Amino acid sequence: MGKAFEQAAALILSGDRELWSILAVTARMSLCSSLAALALGVPLGIWLGACSFPGRRALLVVNRTLMGTPPVVCGLLFYLLFSGVGPFRRLRLLFTVPVMILAQVTLITPLVVGNLESYVTAVAPPVRETARGLGLPPWKVFLLLVNECLYPIFSVYLLAFARAIAEVGAVSMVGGGIAWKTNVMTTAIMQYTNRGDFSKAIALGIILMALSLGVNLLVSLLQGGVRR
Amino acid sequence: MKTNRLLALFLVGMMLLALAACGGQPANSPAPSPAPSSDPKEAVSPSSQSEAAPSGPVVNTVILKEADDQMINTYTLLAVNPGAPFTDANGTPVSDVSVNTSGAAALIQWLLSEEGLKMAADYGVEQYNDHLFYLLEGAPVYEGAIEKATEETKTIRLSTTTSVNDSGLLGALLPVFEEQYGYTVEVQSAGTGKAIAAAKYGNADLILVHAKSQEEAFVSDGFSYVLPGFQSERLSFLYNYFVLCGPTEDPAKVAESATVLDAFAAIAEGKHTFISRGDGSGTHTKELSLWPESLGITQEAASFTVYADWYRSANAGMGACLVMAEEQKGYILTDKATFLTFMANGGKVA
Repeated sequence: MGKAFEQAAALILSGDRELWSILAVTARMSLCSSLAALALGVPLGIWLGACSFPGRRALLVVNRTLMGTPPVVCGLLFYLLFSGVGPFRRLRLLFTVPVMILAQVTLITPLVVGNLESYVTAVAPPVRETARGLGLPPWKVFLLLVNECLYPIFSVYLLAFARAIAEVGAVSMVGGGIAWKTNVMTTAIMQYTNRGDFSKAIALGIILMALSLGVNLLVSLLQGGVRR
Repeated sequence: MKTNRLLALFLVGMMLLALAACGGQPANSPAPSPAPSSDPKEAVSPSSQSEAAPSGPVVNTVILKEADDQMINTYTLLAVNPGAPFTDANGTPVSDVSVNTSGAAALIQWLLSEEGLKMAADYGVEQYNDHLFYLLEGAPVYEGAIEKATEETKTIRLSTTTSVNDSGLLGALLPVFEEQYGYTVEVQSAGTGKAIAAAKYGNADLILVHAKSQEEAFVSDGFSYVLPGFQSERLSFLYNYFVLCGPTEDPAKVAESATVLDAFAAIAEGKHTFISRGDGSGTHTKELSLWPESLGITQEAASFTVYADWYRSANAGMGACLVMAEEQKGYILTDKATFLTFMANGGKVA
């Protein structure tokens, strides 16, 4: 039972350059995509939750459908769009980290929107009432709502990050798992498994879980600071 | 609140332990690590298969049939034609696909230079005591100058098969080329079918594959072209053998059959477990051509549903399939390079 732990530790301590490259790409990809999804999804979620306008319900249904997009479908879409024969071929983005981030943001943003929307719907009416009483302009109401939602925003961020770091279907398709360039933890685990090297795959799995634990602890600490 | 957080930590800890527990077994059982250095070498040489059996070999799967003319496995380089009839997913022609032709030409020229060929032929002798690849007689040799990388051409996209990549051949060769000429080679490795598809979608500058029929279709569809100074689109330069492997007990007695075709017929007749790659790779293509025609096994899943009790289509890489064959005591077709690496590493390819 200790074997896999031993190997994981040995792998980290050996300073394996490929492992560090994989870790760096993983960190860049999952941090960028989760933060971008948060930046896009928070305003959208608050807007959907706080405002009522015609077509809102339809938008909600669309968003909830997008929340269930299978990653491979998203990956396939981006693969075809950015392929050498695809419509965006001139950007030459296929098999690069930016296109992996793009695919991830597409997958994660609906999750952020959907989760925030359901929270905002509950807190918006009293906030709106106060704002109307004070005669606040719309942008101040938005800030007030953001402030009100800080706690769930942290939780939603963790969800976004977890999705980004754990995802494999889309990133293996658009990233190609190219060593030193687009190989992330999940695609590397797949490669090792395909080579029958299960113990190394498990060692990587342990490192991935430990990473995730670290980020969760950090964000939980930050979240403690804004506890209502 | 405090207890909640403790509980969460506890749960995460349990997950880590569970992962580690799963990890213990495969790490322990196929490779009792005490003597991995001497045992595999014994098991590697085909003649020693009988002696290896009673002494409890590291890996129970051994080569049963090899060096048959049917089993030659030729590796071929093909440069992607920038003027190929590329079409997008709707079938609409696309004319301005960017292909790094000079980068692809430089890599091909170097691989076919005296230095490249020698390195490829010698690869693995030191580590595995055996040649993993042999030089094809009459392979094209390039003697001219090789262009250095420029800002425009420095990234080369090579689409290749798992067997070439997993055997470590590219890992040994490419850094030498990159250092000398300033290129960066991005290797995507997948089965031959996928590697060719990537090139057809304009996502590769050259391919290195091993399935003649698929290569010829690629050429006749106009996706490859003759590089200046070479005779043909298909530049075959290395070969090794496919080998039929199986449990040391060899219940189908394939080691005694006259040819490899007889061996496959015997496996089918006795309904002995056979692990198929099932992924459109070169190895899969070869395997399909070795079954008796009367069985009618093709790439299509419908063609082997009736044989599902013994014919297992894994749709996985060579290493994963070898592990599967080992565990299920099944027969399997593999290229020799991957098999030797698998044995030498005590049941994994790395």
